[in-house]
Amino acid sequence: MSAPTATDRVVKQSLFDRYGTSLAMPVGIVVLLIVGTILSDRFLSISNLTNVLINMSIVGIIVVGMTFVFITRGLADLSVPAMVAVGGLLVLVLDDVIGTWPAALVGLLVATAAGLVNGVLIGYAGLNPVITTLASGTIVLGIAQAFVGGVIVYGQDPVAKDVLTERIFGTVPTIVLIFLLVALMGHLVLARTVFGRWTYAVGGNPHATEASAVPVRRVKAGAFVLTASLSGLAGVLLGISLQAARPGIGTGYEFDAITAVVVGGVSLLGGSGSIPRAMGGLLFVQLLTNIMTLQGVPSEPQGMVKGALIVVAVALDVFLRRRGGRE
Amino acid sequence: MTRPGSVLDSAVLVTAVRYRVAIILVATVIIAGTMVPGILEFRAVSLSLDRIGTTALVAIGVTVVLITGKLDLSGGAILALSGIAAIGLQEQYGQIPAALIGLGVGLLAGVVNGFLVVTLRINALVATLASMLFFRALCHVLTDSRPFSGIDPLFGLAVSRPIGGTFTLRTILFVLLIVLLHIWLTRTVAGRNLFAVGSNPVSAEASGIRADGYVFGSFVFAGFTAGAAGVIQSLSVNTGSPVFGETTSLLAIAAVVIGGTRLEGGRGSALGTLGGLLVMAILTTAMEFSNVPAYVQNIVTGVILLLLILLDRFVSGKKSRDLSPAAMLRLVRNRRQSHNERIHAS
Repeated sequence: MSAPTATDRVVKQSLFDRYGTSLAMPVGIVVLLIVGTILSDRFLSISNLTNVLINMSIVGIIVVGMTFVFITRGLADLSVPAMVAVGGLLVLVLDDVIGTWPAALVGLLVATAAGLVNGVLIGYAGLNPVITTLASGTIVLGIAQAFVGGVIVYGQDPVAKDVLTERIFGTVPTIVLIFLLVALMGHLVLARTVFGRWTYAVGGNPHATEASAVPVRRVKAGAFVLTASLSGLAGVLLGISLQAARPGIGTGYEFDAITAVVVGGVSLLGGSGSIPRAMGGLLFVQLLTNIMTLQGVPSEPQGMVKGALIVVAVALDVFLRRRGGRE
Repeated sequence: MTRPGSVLDSAVLVTAVRYRVAIILVATVIIAGTMVPGILEFRAVSLSLDRIGTTALVAIGVTVVLITGKLDLSGGAILALSGIAAIGLQEQYGQIPAALIGLGVGLLAGVVNGFLVVTLRINALVATLASMLFFRALCHVLTDSRPFSGIDPLFGLAVSRPIGGTFTLRTILFVLLIVLLHIWLTRTVAGRNLFAVGSNPVSAEASGIRADGYVFGSFVFAGFTAGAAGVIQSLSVNTGSPVFGETTSLLAIAAVVIGGTRLEGGRGSALGTLGGLLVMAILTTAMEFSNVPAYVQNIVTGVILLLLILLDRFVSGKKSRDLSPAAMLRLVRNRRQSHNERIHAS
């Protein structure tokens, strides 16, 4: 235990108040692991848990960007599906022209460029993020569709697919390692760098932050550029590992990412949250999905549970905030 | 924010921005009329109005929600759910009761949204995202993910066929609703209060307006219009489907924003929404007539939307100016008067 600080004497908190919010997610995940083990003997096996990891890799990469958007009080980025489609389509269209890895780079860069437009419009011009990303997503997706003629494209490079799905050390595929690397980097940027500190400051109190000579607009724009390029990366990985992409390939990823971040307890009001929390939310949702799938629940009805989960997570967050007098 | 110079302040430009929906609408009509032959014929107009009808009904509800400063993403899912109720319950309760139950489902879904946003204090974006996922999944559970038909294909014909060779029921209904909404928003105290709640809920509350009540009511209203859209849509094609309306919510929001309603709340108009809807209806029909693929239509809609919000941000974000036609007339008259006086004096 650390020595009592000034706030301890001023605000009397129960143990639950102090640790409840940060412990809730690990406890929830452990509970899910126990429940899953009881319900199905296949659940707690290396192969199943690896499957969970593979399933969360693509959306997990996007979650890292979305967390930045949430923390800067940027509401949400609804252009994610378009950026995923751009990444996936470009890499497969260009792979027999310039090779898969240069094509991947092109996909990533184009998505980043589109994200730059988002960033300028939201960060510098001060437009509402929801409607801006909605519009830019529509435009970018339309251009991507026009580029490939609105059809499915197939890849020509099964070797690249093998590279991504190959299991390093016999268990973990490359794609999972990429995801973990992105998450780690995102966490380090947020927790250890000046940019990370600025990100929290911008979301916490934009006016005071601006007054402290922090480049508020650049930070806010940066969150959207980051989300776009990470969505592009997710699309590239998705395209290569499936060797097929259609314009609708990214549909739903924006909501999945928002769900994970929200369930992880990152507030839309900005200024708080972290990558580990968002990842906790993602893992929770993925484990729950996995348990339901193992129980034979089809994927569509699982949305009911996800919807209810969001409501419970956010309502609990609001309730705890009010109780803690922090609202 | 650095402000570009006085060009953006000029009365002409500010007026143009104020009436931009009308200007864009006229421009769209002229361009479409000259480039696409036959688009302005009565039948084509009636058809394109009918095509936008479902989105329009959802957009009416969205307009009210946006004016209160909230957001509703769940309209499309409510639409599908109400449609499924209206078709699926036909055998048990008969066609008209089933349709009424469908409307009730929409109303109830709106109550759920209101409960999440007002009572549980969940951010509207997240709350309606959650309810959207929930309602959509419920649709899949109820239908086993398969679309299904109603008992009598002829029953819905009245909905889809133009009444007396003019417009369809759906068109008449949405235009009527928009006119009523316009009167309510501009001519009644409750309508005024809605804008007050949207621009500043705290001061609205301080002036004795029950802000929470208005927000709750707006979600219920949005649920109801989405339900009506779903019932009409499902009856007209005699099908209940879990995938109906997957893009409707975002389209409706786009139409409302093109119509000049702001996502920040406190500003908007029903007639603007009508303008936004008409622009989208004409664009869609015109491009379909000239075989332009759907994705190009998306690009055009997106660009219009983006340009409009940019314009809105940089031109009309300044001091409020009375720009009603009466005020403009007064301005011109005053100017002329002072001009005459000056001539007199010299």
